[in-house]
Order: sequence, then C-alpha cells, then structure tokens
Amino acid sequence: MNEEQMIRRDRMRFKKNKLSANLTLLAIVLDVLYFVNIYQNDAGSYYHNWIIGVSVVYNLIFMLAAFLSEEGVKNYKELYSIPLVILGVIQIVRIFILPWQAHSYINVDAGFPEPPMGNGQFTYLVILLIASAVCLVAAAVINFIKCNALAVHMKMLEERSAASGALAGKSA
Amino acid sequence: MAELSLQHIDKIYDNNVQAVFDFNLDVKDGELIVLVGPSGCGKSTTLRMVAGLEDISKGRLYLDGKDITQTPAKDRDMAMVFQNYALYGHMTIYENMAFSLTLRKENPNVIHKKVLAAAEILGLTSQLNKKPDQLSGGQRQRVAMGRSIVRNPKVFLFDEPLSNLDAKLRGATRREILLLHKRLKATMLYVTHDQTEALTLADRIVCMSMGHVQQVGTPLELYDSPNNVFVASFIGLPPMNLFDAKVDGDDLLIQQGQGYRVPLTAQEKQMLAAYQGKEIILGVRPEDIGEGAGFPVVVSNNENLGMNTLVYGNIGGPGGVKICAKLKGWIGHQHGDNVQFTIKRKHLFDKETTNAIR
Repeated sequence: MNEEQMIRRDRMRFKKNKLSANLTLLAIVLDVLYFVNIYQNDAGSYYHNWIIGVSVVYNLIFMLAAFLSEEGVKNYKELYSIPLVILGVIQIVRIFILPWQAHSYINVDAGFPEPPMGNGQFTYLVILLIASAVCLVAAAVINFIKCNALAVHMKMLEERSAASGALAGKSA
Repeated sequence: MAELSLQHIDKIYDNNVQAVFDFNLDVKDGELIVLVGPSGCGKSTTLRMVAGLEDISKGRLYLDGKDITQTPAKDRDMAMVFQNYALYGHMTIYENMAFSLTLRKENPNVIHKKVLAAAEILGLTSQLNKKPDQLSGGQRQRVAMGRSIVRNPKVFLFDEPLSNLDAKLRGATRREILLLHKRLKATMLYVTHDQTEALTLADRIVCMSMGHVQQVGTPLELYDSPNNVFVASFIGLPPMNLFDAKVDGDDLLIQQGQGYRVPLTAQEKQMLAAYQGKEIILGVRPEDIGEGAGFPVVVSNNENLGMNTLVYGNIGGPGGVKICAKLKGWIGHQHGDNVQFTIKRKHLFDKETTNAIR
C-alpha cells in the first residue's frame, strides 16, 4: 500500500462515512417520491384497500429503519450494512406488489376497463424503486468495505504503537 | 519570512471618531509583538486593520515590502485567533481545523497531514473526533490556534485569546503560545490588556493609550525606563506610586503635610538641574520601596502573597498620599501601624508633559 492510500485510510479515523450515509438518505428521498406519486394519483377505489394501508405503514417503517441505518453506517458500524441490504431487496420486491399489480389490473365490472396505473407512471415508479434499492445496497457494500479497511488500519496502528512502545521500553 | 510594516496608520470612523493616531511599527520576521493598553485604546482596532477586517483610513501597511493596505482580508495570508475561539459547534475538532483548507479545495490527503501535524504540536491528537463543546476553554483556544497553524500563514494575529480562560488555564495557555512561537518562529501580533501577558510573551511591547502609541520597546525597557507617566503606571503590578514633588536643593520634597525629603543622587541632581524649584512627578515602583528610616507611613491594609507582602498606607497618616510597597517575605503589619519606608530607586517625570526626565 502506498502513502496516498495509507493517508486515505487514516482519514477515515476522523471523517464520517458520508458516502454511505448520503446514499442512504438519497434512497429515502427516492422512496418519498415513490409514495407521494402513488398517493397523488389515487385512481378512485382501486387503492382503497388493505394494500394501501400496509404501504403507508411500511413506508413509515422503511424511513425509520433507513434513517437509523444511515446514522450507523455514517459512524462505520459494519452491522448496519445488513438492514440496508434487506431494505434494498424489499424495494425490489415492492415493484411486484403495488406498481405491477396496478399496472396490470383490468376489471370492467369493478369500473376498471383500463389499468389504474398507466405506462408512464409505472416506469417512473419502477425506476424510483430500483434506484432506491441500488442506493441502499451500494451504501451497504461501501460501508462493509470501508469498515474492514478501517479495522485493518486500526489494527496496524495498534501494532505499530505497541512496537514503538516496546522499543522505547528497551532503550530506557 | 514575514516582515510587517505599519506606516502612519490612522483609523477614523464614519462618525469622525478617531480610534488610532499615526501608528508606526516595523515588525521583524519571527518577532512576537504585543499591543497592550486599557480598553478602548485602539489596540484591537489596529490588529483588525492589519487583518483587513477594518479599513485603514490613512497610512500604508506593508507585508514583506508589498503594499497590502487595500488587499482583502482573505488574500493577506494572515490568520487570526479570536477571544471567543469562533469554532463551529457542529463540526468535530478535526473538521474545524481542516475547514479553511477544505474551503481552499486543497488535496484532502495534504489537509490530513497538516491537521495531524498541528494537532501533534498542540497536544490535540486524542481530541480530534470530539466536538468543541466537549473541550475545556484552554483546549478550545488551542483548536483555534491549530486552525491558524494548518494554514501556515505569514503572520499570526491574536486578539485577547486568553481573556475567556480562568487564571490557572491562562498561565498554562500563555506558556503554550510562547512555546508555539519558539517552535514555529512565526511573526505574531498579540493584543492584550493584561500586562503580565505582555511582559512574559513579547519580544517587543507596543503600549497604547487613547489611540496613541506611548512607547515601543522590550519588556525590560518598558518596565525599567518608561517613557511617560502612563507607561509607568500601566506596566508593573502593583502599579507605580506617583507623588507630586518639588525639586528643592539636593532633595525632592514630597509636598504632603509637613513635607518629606527624599535625597537625590548626583546623577538625578544633574538630570533635574533645569527643574530646580519646580514641581515634578516622582514615580516609585512598590518593589523599590523598603523598610528603614525614611518617611513615616501609617498602614491601612496588608496583603500577604506568600513570597511577598503588599503594604498599603498613607504617608504621614490617614488622609496623606497613598503608597503601596511590595516587601519581601511574610510581614504581619496591622491596620494603623506606623512604619518607616525608604526609596531605593526613583523614576522622574515632567509634571507638564508627563514625559520621563532623563
């Protein structure tokens, strides 16, 4: 490892993991855009069922969990990568629940000769969910890599300080 | 290399109040200059003009021979340490120290090296991840100094940096500043109203009063040979005793009550040849007063400081001229005691001009 890389690693001792934290915050923003868009485009009675209730509750849980994880990864807590990955996977799974079903739902008797969600909105929402998932997984992976690098660096510093202490002891 | 030159600097505010009059000073490279004086004497205004935080009304300011009178503060390559630290509360110590370099968009690795080096100098390495509110006043002031050091400026400016600290911490931080100056060998301008700081830190002191420079010199010069009554009374703790006295033959006559005669040395007689029969001001430092046959003093107060005792009294009795003597050792005078004091060394001043008679 050259000096540049060493310094870059050493900087982690004093700088927060802003990249992971900001990616997580971005994922939250994308999720907010997602549910605002869905609730704004309420197409009559289609959304008025238990799915929308679960969606509201889940969005609240998502924002809380993502924010807490953001605080964790900001401080190089390796374990917080796990909830971020789980949240990322759930974001992908969500594509197949609300947007997908609403986009493919046709029921003339219930007053839906056409799907309540058009192609444009469907594409937009899918992009938001995928982007949000990518941000979360990327934040988790970056945090994992950085945490390991920092741990190795701290161990090296400890060894170096122990060695210099032993040397000082010998010379004394 | 940083030589600073202030030439005929005036500061006149918009309301025509003049705060600084014809300030002249040449600061050599690596010199620590202390501007000292009472509140409102123009010392901070002068410093702020040097920093570029105040406009210079008249005169020129040169840094290494280059005229920087009109140069904006950010381009002057000077760093200022304020009394109130001016740290960002939401940033860690590391981020506070790195902030100015980050704004300049310096390489993060270079910033890191500089911050660690400054923290090492100031003993802040273990505090870098803390926030300012987790540090003591002295540590915060060190952070403020560290923020200046990382910039590697040509001139360091200190505006009463120790005023917010308690007495013990002030002494410790003062010694740190002195060590820092010796280590960095940087040109420093330091403003204080505390003469102890001035005497202990300065290579040279600029003593100011009401916007005018009263004397520029080494601490010893200001203490030993004050230019005028103001410098004599401002430098030294407790302040110099000042008496109205008349030159009367071979003596000085302290005109109080029945009058007390203080004999003059041959050199003093020569200096006062032109003042025969006239009134002058006699200055005597408390430490230049000793017990012994001289003039009578009635003790009004006695302060034991351990190694020394400050004896306050009145010449001739209550209502007489006040006098303070700094005597060696633990002396147990009581209120109302009659003692005799002698003067070991005198400072003589012209009564009209208040300038020293030499």
